[in-house]
Amino acid sequence: MDAIKINVNKQMDGYSFSISPSIRDFIRKVFPNAHPANNIFVGYDTKSNFEIYIGKLESHIYPALLGVENKTDLNQFDEIQFVDTQTGHVLHKVTPRDEKV
Amino acid sequence: MSEFLMLGWNVAIPEVDIGDDIFVVQDDNGTLRRVQVKTSTSTARKDSFSGQFSVSVKNLRNISNILVHYIFLVRHNDEWSRPVIIRQDYLLNHFENNKVGSEAKGNITFYFSFTKGKAECSGQDFTGYIKDYTDFPKIEH
Repeated sequence: MDAIKINVNKQMDGYSFSISPSIRDFIRKVFPNAHPANNIFVGYDTKSNFEIYIGKLESHIYPALLGVENKTDLNQFDEIQFVDTQTGHVLHKVTPRDEKV
Repeated sequence: MSEFLMLGWNVAIPEVDIGDDIFVVQDDNGTLRRVQVKTSTSTARKDSFSGQFSVSVKNLRNISNILVHYIFLVRHNDEWSRPVIIRQDYLLNHFENNKVGSEAKGNITFYFSFTKGKAECSGQDFTGYIKDYTDFPKIEH
């Protein structure tokens, strides 16, 4: 499976994470029970609190955004890239099968 | 704007222009839609007409929690064409994955051609976006 690209847009008050309609269609086709979201907004303060007490936010964003909960299903993705929409730079990479639950 | 009012949504024009042309609001719960209207004169052909629109790449890539709806209208034979309504993420997807539009100097130029009720842009069928008010369902007051 090709890398899944998650768009990250830095706004005045936080981050917007989104996936393109073609990725949403692809997810629905591969996982018919999935409910991919258009976008998820996380305020800067929420992100920093989350990362102090729980861990890296991105690891929790992609299952919610892709609407795929099952770990076995998530492991089918090779790589998930978080890409800055304005610069095109890859900000973060996640390989679900390498992540600890 | 009158189309949105007819659908039961309220409309507002931003006091300061930072990209959005209209705010379309569902009064009773505050649901907000951002709308950018693009207009063009027409170029007439034998059985069709076309219009050319410019969209800022920066604005198109600026995906926030409230997506922009782009509305494309062509003035042809002293009448407005039926609106082509595309949400920002779909337009960006067409641009990035389907080679729709051509980019130059920070702007994307989209050429829409209208033939017998059908709309096309860079070889892609956009007919499904004509009068696509999916995200503006009729509100009964």
